[in-house]
Amino acid sequence: MKVIVSAAEKQFINSAIASGKRLDGRDTYDYRKVRITYGTERGCCEVQVGETRVLAQTSCEVVKPSGARPSEGMLHINLELSPMASPTFEPGRMSSFGVELNRLLERSVRESKAVDTESLCIVVGVKVWQVRVDLHALNFDGNLLDCSSIAAIASLHHFRRPEVTVSGEQVTIHSLEDREPVALSIHHMPICVTFAFFQEGKYLLVDPSDREESVMDGTMVVCMNIHRELCTVQMTGSMLLLKDQLSRCCQIAIVKVSEITEVIKSALANDAQARKEGRKHGFAESKVSSRITTGHMEEQTIPIKKEVDGSGSEDEMEDEEEEEEANGEEKNQNGSDVKIDSPGVGTIGEGLRNTWGVPTEDSDDNGQDTIMEEKATTEADDKRGGNKSCQKNL
Amino acid sequence: MAGLELLSDQGFRLDGRRPHELRKIQCKMGVFKQADGSAYIEQGNTKALATVYGPHEVTGSRSKIEHDKVLINCQYSMATFSTGERRSRSKGDRKSQEMQLHLKKTFEAAILTQLYPRSQIDIYVQILQADGGNYSACVNAATLAIIDAGIPMKDFVCASTAGFVSDTPIVDISYLEESQGGPELVVALLPKSDQIVEFQVNSRLHLDNFENVLDMAVKGCKDIHAVLSRAVKENVSELASHMNKT
Amino acid sequence: MAASMTNADVVLPGDVLTDRLKEITNKKVRLGPGLRWQSKDVVACKCGVLKSREDHAFWIDNHQRRYIPAKGESIIGVVSLKAGDIFRVNIGSNLPAALPYLSFEGATKRNRPNVQIGDLVYAKLLVANRDMEPELVCIDGSGQSNGLGVLSREGFMFKCSLHLCRKILSPDCSLLRVLGKKIPLEVTVGMNGRIWLRCRSVNDTICAMNAILAAEYTPEQNLKSMVYKIFGGVAAV
Repeated sequence: MKVIVSAAEKQFINSAIASGKRLDGRDTYDYRKVRITYGTERGCCEVQVGETRVLAQTSCEVVKPSGARPSEGMLHINLELSPMASPTFEPGRMSSFGVELNRLLERSVRESKAVDTESLCIVVGVKVWQVRVDLHALNFDGNLLDCSSIAAIASLHHFRRPEVTVSGEQVTIHSLEDREPVALSIHHMPICVTFAFFQEGKYLLVDPSDREESVMDGTMVVCMNIHRELCTVQMTGSMLLLKDQLSRCCQIAIVKVSEITEVIKSALANDAQARKEGRKHGFAESKVSSRITTGHMEEQTIPIKKEVDGSGSEDEMEDEEEEEEANGEEKNQNGSDVKIDSPGVGTIGEGLRNTWGVPTEDSDDNGQDTIMEEKATTEADDKRGGNKSCQKNL
Repeated sequence: MAGLELLSDQGFRLDGRRPHELRKIQCKMGVFKQADGSAYIEQGNTKALATVYGPHEVTGSRSKIEHDKVLINCQYSMATFSTGERRSRSKGDRKSQEMQLHLKKTFEAAILTQLYPRSQIDIYVQILQADGGNYSACVNAATLAIIDAGIPMKDFVCASTAGFVSDTPIVDISYLEESQGGPELVVALLPKSDQIVEFQVNSRLHLDNFENVLDMAVKGCKDIHAVLSRAVKENVSELASHMNKT
Repeated sequence: MAASMTNADVVLPGDVLTDRLKEITNKKVRLGPGLRWQSKDVVACKCGVLKSREDHAFWIDNHQRRYIPAKGESIIGVVSLKAGDIFRVNIGSNLPAALPYLSFEGATKRNRPNVQIGDLVYAKLLVANRDMEPELVCIDGSGQSNGLGVLSREGFMFKCSLHLCRKILSPDCSLLRVLGKKIPLEVTVGMNGRIWLRCRSVNDTICAMNAILAAEYTPEQNLKSMVYKIFGGVAAV
């Protein structure tokens, strides 16, 4: 399903980015809030970056190794893009977008040798561990790759595999009750950072949201670990970049990677603490109940600089408002005279009568702030206010 | 395979090259009559063939038609006899799909797409022998094929690989050097304006060495550009002289 | 919080409401969205709050994000295709709507309206039933545009729930008035869950958008302080 973006949205988002503003009030190099929750089962975790959510589960089984590498175990990573996450994902065969994400995840985690595959060997040439990380996209609001890579790494660190003892010919895989399961041997934590470029590479943003992605020229993915090693870099999209832009991105990526690594480590530590103390842990505990969940906006601080178009200082504006307040409703109606600039096809006018509410005179709230009678509306008010509680109870 | 010295003490690589030397390049344009444009390139032992059809009507699903630019369709395949062991490859496997996507994006940035709205350009690339640097050979071959087809481009697109061995950046890595597991950097460039079209880093590379390796790859691209532009000039002047003879 | 709101006003799908309606009126009733006849009983088929009007019309007010076209509603659409004599406009429903060239003010066969793919149009639904694709017009019965037509590219459009659009458009809601007092703005609300607005600067537009989205669950009396908080001004409730 192709989503069409209107020219007005493109223009607005581009001009907002040009003046350094983003739709949710973030700075150009800011990530959305990263939240990691672990499940009760080992290796199960859900990561939220803003509204984008990915669920990861690590599992392992014993298999015969491949002929080419008989002394190494195997690591498989798979990201499923189900239509649950977004109507633009189609079921069935994976789209090229899905293939690209999967390849980037494979390259960043598997081909950078983050997990020590030699330690997964049980008997050379006969039995090795095959570790699978299955990722599922639950909700798509832009930047699925970063969310998935954080989920994969967090899940791998959380996972424990059963302990194995080899005595001569005999191989015993201990069950989870017998012996404590063992953590995987992980060398480093590769984290992907996505940069989105706009207007032919002139502006860049970190962690694009869905709307920003629909307008962007292309992305650059920089996957690094805290030891300042580049694990994978990929630049895609129909755009052209200069060498110094690449270097700048790598510098920014270092900072972001260390921040995110801190978040992962603290989440792991909290979970380990909870398990040790015998406190309840898992998804059920971390979900907040009795709250409106969709449509609830996180408190974002939107940096407001009062641009008063040179017609006065900030204090003056406030005084005017207070004056208006004092004079009550009458001031209201003369308020701001908004003019219609050009008649004809482009006029914005009064609009039509609202057929949903209690019918009154023209509710011409569709544009100018002209006169609006305020009816005695306690009853309607109650009903409206009541809707909020109605949602809660549902 | 372990223990192969990729860079000897005297500074020679396995095939006798110096770190900054490219492999020998031979190329030919206009190898097929049926296609609108075609080219064949040999970089050392890597051999790639590219054909271009278009711009023509959009075949396949009508939903893919773009109202303001041309649709670029790439197909990449490796012949079964191209690697050491004969292996039949299915079309739909992830690595070849990834390669197709990268080729498509590279040429979308280089071709003037707004000149042919509602049309399609097909680029087919076939690897006949793979000895490292598959992607760069494909890009170079496709560039020549597009020029042969007469489709307007912003500039040549030249691609090259670079690696890092024993604290030295090396350019144009072969299959043996690739499989040792060292870092590999692939760059596709528009040589005249120094703009990077496609950029990939595989395997771990420390940030401090990044600049040097990138510089080496960019220099490699420019050297390739020199070779390719000479070949194109010869081809065009030969054609022009034949045309004038009438 | 409203005091008189009780759980009794919330209905669930399958609730039989004949008695409740009889309590309120014994005249002929008209059933709106969410209610239907089922062999002599009035049954709710959506979950929400039961509402009524003076002319004995009843309906269920619920929280929904997907738009179902209804005749006579004004909506904001995105032009996606030019085909023959019509524009195909995406209105967020199951089918793209058709908007004929001639349905603009002053358009004739020779004089085509200047509409490009990707433009936003504010139009009214002329035909909207479940068996046919929806049809839009940008003029009223007498041939005047009356505020309908192409929206300027200078503004910004965002999506919200249908409930919020209805809330904003209702005369009891003071949100737009409060916003207008704070900064000059132009706003167009489409009944299909799309809102277009334009302010003097990018900053103001972003603040106004966030204020409108936050107003969905803010009760009436807190609207003013919420808007003031977002704009960083003095909260004078």
